[in-house]
Amino acid sequence: MDRRSFIKLTAITGTSATLAGCGNPENQLIRFIPAEDIVPGVAVWKPGVCPLCRAGCGLTVRVMDADAEVVRDGQAGIVRIAAAKKLEGAPDHPVNRGGLCPRGQAAIQITYHPDRITQPLRRAGERGQGRYEAVSWDGALTEIVSRLDALEGAGNQRALAAVTQSGRGHRSALIGRFLGAYGAPGPIAYELFGDEVLRRANGLSFGRQQLPTFDLANARYVLSLGADFLGTWNSPVAQSVGYGRMRQGRPGLRGAFTQVESRMSQTGAGADEWVPVRPGTEGVLALGLANLIMAAQLHPASAAGRAGALIEGWNAGLANYAPREVERITGLAAARVERLARQLGDARPAVAMVGGPPLAHSNGLFTALAVNALNALIGAVEQPGGMFFTPQLDVATASKASGSVASPAPTIDRLAADGLSGGPATQVLLVDGANPVFTTPRAWRVREAFEKIPYIASFSSFLDETSILSDLILPDHSFLESWTEALPESGSMVAVASVAPPVMRPLHQTRATADVLLEIGRRLRRPLDLPWQTFDEMLAATFAGLPSATADVDAWTDAQAKGAWAGPLPAGLAVAGTAGASAAPGTFAFTAPLFDGNAEQYPFYFLPYPSNAFLDGSLAHLPWLQEMPDPLSSAMWSSWVEINPATAERLGIGTGDVVEVASAHGALRTAAVITPGIAPDMVAMPAGQGHRTFTRYASGRGENPVELLAPVTDAATAALAWAATRVRMSRVGPPDGRLILFAGGMREHPAGEHQR
Amino acid sequence: MAADLDRCTGCGACVVACHAENNISTVGAGQAAIGRAKHWLRVERYWEGDFPNVGLKFVPVMCQQCDNAPCEPVCPTYASHHTEDGLNAQVYNRCIGTRYCANACPYNVRFFDFFNPSWEKPLQLQLNPDVSLREVGVMEKCTFCVQRIRGTQIQAKAEDREVRDGEIQPACVQSCGARALVFGDLADPESEVSRLSRSPRGSKLLEDLGTQPKVNYLSRQSQA
Repeated sequence: MDRRSFIKLTAITGTSATLAGCGNPENQLIRFIPAEDIVPGVAVWKPGVCPLCRAGCGLTVRVMDADAEVVRDGQAGIVRIAAAKKLEGAPDHPVNRGGLCPRGQAAIQITYHPDRITQPLRRAGERGQGRYEAVSWDGALTEIVSRLDALEGAGNQRALAAVTQSGRGHRSALIGRFLGAYGAPGPIAYELFGDEVLRRANGLSFGRQQLPTFDLANARYVLSLGADFLGTWNSPVAQSVGYGRMRQGRPGLRGAFTQVESRMSQTGAGADEWVPVRPGTEGVLALGLANLIMAAQLHPASAAGRAGALIEGWNAGLANYAPREVERITGLAAARVERLARQLGDARPAVAMVGGPPLAHSNGLFTALAVNALNALIGAVEQPGGMFFTPQLDVATASKASGSVASPAPTIDRLAADGLSGGPATQVLLVDGANPVFTTPRAWRVREAFEKIPYIASFSSFLDETSILSDLILPDHSFLESWTEALPESGSMVAVASVAPPVMRPLHQTRATADVLLEIGRRLRRPLDLPWQTFDEMLAATFAGLPSATADVDAWTDAQAKGAWAGPLPAGLAVAGTAGASAAPGTFAFTAPLFDGNAEQYPFYFLPYPSNAFLDGSLAHLPWLQEMPDPLSSAMWSSWVEINPATAERLGIGTGDVVEVASAHGALRTAAVITPGIAPDMVAMPAGQGHRTFTRYASGRGENPVELLAPVTDAATAALAWAATRVRMSRVGPPDGRLILFAGGMREHPAGEHQR
Repeated sequence: MAADLDRCTGCGACVVACHAENNISTVGAGQAAIGRAKHWLRVERYWEGDFPNVGLKFVPVMCQQCDNAPCEPVCPTYASHHTEDGLNAQVYNRCIGTRYCANACPYNVRFFDFFNPSWEKPLQLQLNPDVSLREVGVMEKCTFCVQRIRGTQIQAKAEDREVRDGEIQPACVQSCGARALVFGDLADPESEVSRLSRSPRGSKLLEDLGTQPKVNYLSRQSQA
């Protein structure tokens, strides 16, 4: 090589090396012209509706400009978009009044999750492998329509099934209408920590089959039996707002609060008095209190009306529930029962609430009815400082739905059993917002049943244990990219309908599930008779019938601007109470709760509970929630089992040690957390971790307590009795780093004994 | 700021709200396991008694914005300093990462960035453009959401008025359903936070160290 060519060569390679190393690769992307009008640096606040639980809290979403990477016509580039930046509670929303729970705060990470499904997918590998190929929306819709047409051609419409999240809003109503018009059974809504038992009880006692609303702000005394009402149960933000006012919102008057439970919940930590009783005997305590209140003639038995009459022996003063008897059954000293009764009888207004573990037993319905009768006795029903039922909008009437209503759905365990035993088999399954493979007990064999279903289509935004079994994925928009709505079941004294238009444009090639269903309905060979073209038409139809809160603006426009409509419902649009009780007076008496596993072989009650971060596990994919320290243990990114210090000492278990927990149905290994807030004969474990498949943040992390659960159900409602399993436990090894705590050691243990 | 422990439910909404507002990066399980998780605001818990007579108290702890802050004099670069309105500010561009301030702080509310933060795309779209990102080697901490304080002050000035009491809400205060956290001007005796600070239930964390913290904790009452 001569000198000249050497210089030429170095000049060329040098320049290109410099160019290649120049700045970030982003800077080489093309900048597209923004499709929306945005003022850079100026925040706009838009209304939203939190989608994470049934509480239906109102959001206000901060929207600002941001650079998003997109692909347009095959060309990668960046474009300035109006992006959601922060979620806050809407200050004027009648449910949450400005507050928002940690889960709601983190919901924005759903929209921006790196593992979101960005476009329709068709299965390419074996079922469950997770190998998918991209398919166009048109191709995907053609495929699902041909499947449904084939069923219809064979006259087998009842072989279509849908598993959805539970809910009372328009989305559920639309899915129900779709199935009804097609000729399929209604949607199957399964929730691990569902409240079906309490709804049924409220229907029997009060003629209102729904969750109650509590006027905590005006209460002087609250007796909660197991209800985690400040954490995960019912409408936690609304209840926290009321709780703050009850405690310190009235000068000179501080409401008192007693929590009855065997494992201290986040809510129990706030109680003035914490009262552990034997699991499944909470109803006996409630009737014991009623017995004393009646005996002291603070209230007559007749005050409890229909709710009391359902209980056997009520009018005779509940002689079977005298303090000595209550002590024998619940394990709570008779003197303490008497003191609690005085407290409850003397304070006005007072209210009792029940939820969570006490209702997750084979006698759950009895327990709920007992607490209802107690509330009726002390005059807490529909009274200030007591319990109320939020008036409910009748969606079918309000949205002017026509056509046939879907017939009642089987339960998920029934569906699975039929599919496996040669009963009426499901041919096509639609899955929307539910992950039953993760949240049902193994004995129900939901996974095996789903694997036998010839065709599964999912609307999921993520690959989870259920959607990974699907043949076609039609990914939904995130809640910030689509019309959202909620009809809160509780948390407000007046009827509420939350609604919000899309906050931002879709980031990916996704489509709103409600609109996709409507399009499928139109494309079918025999198009479905649904009165709306799009989901917002359905919403508009509802709001057109509501009175506007603001003069010279109609209710639809007003609600969109505010994020909610609230007020008295016009006649004919409210869901009517069920006046005639279907149970005869004196039907219900205490029966001992059934537990799976005998006490000698399986000495511990096993209590799975909804995680403060992940609920039943549906939020384990959000990194903010993974890294949020648990309120009681400060654990992050972990699973653990809670053990009483005396039990731990007896078994030689220290915090962080690996223990094996086994029931008659399964076994798992997880880290021990030694905590004084649990009975010596009980171990507890948060649900939510233990996902096999659920994005990079949750897959393969921790253990799922549902794996241990026995298929015990409440006899009356067939709801899973998730607190009715017994387990054994043993230490299998020293700390191995799987338990990650934010704080130092708990009080019982010197620092350094477990690792940081 | 005032924190009413009788209202606090320990839910942790403030913790996540703080992450969302202040671009605090998550560090992941591996780093969290060696004590590198960053929570400018944490909810401490104190167990009392043994089963069955057991109690648990929650205490939300953020930077106490001390008037006599131990973190300030130890900083060789004045990254950690006192502002005119009484905040303990941290100037990230001055910080050289000696970590003296974190050692001096008795409240454990200063967090060191052991690496550059990263957000897996498109999670970076959630970032708040009003708050700068901290790079490796820098100490970070609660600012009482100074971006919100300044934003409201500028807005009030533009409208030619005073800032109203309660108008400034740091992210933690805004998120709290039970209204356990109250923020305001302690120099104004009429403000709600001043009123709460005069409560006989009030006390300050580790007050006897002489740090003169500016967060008042109103103790939980017991039922007589």
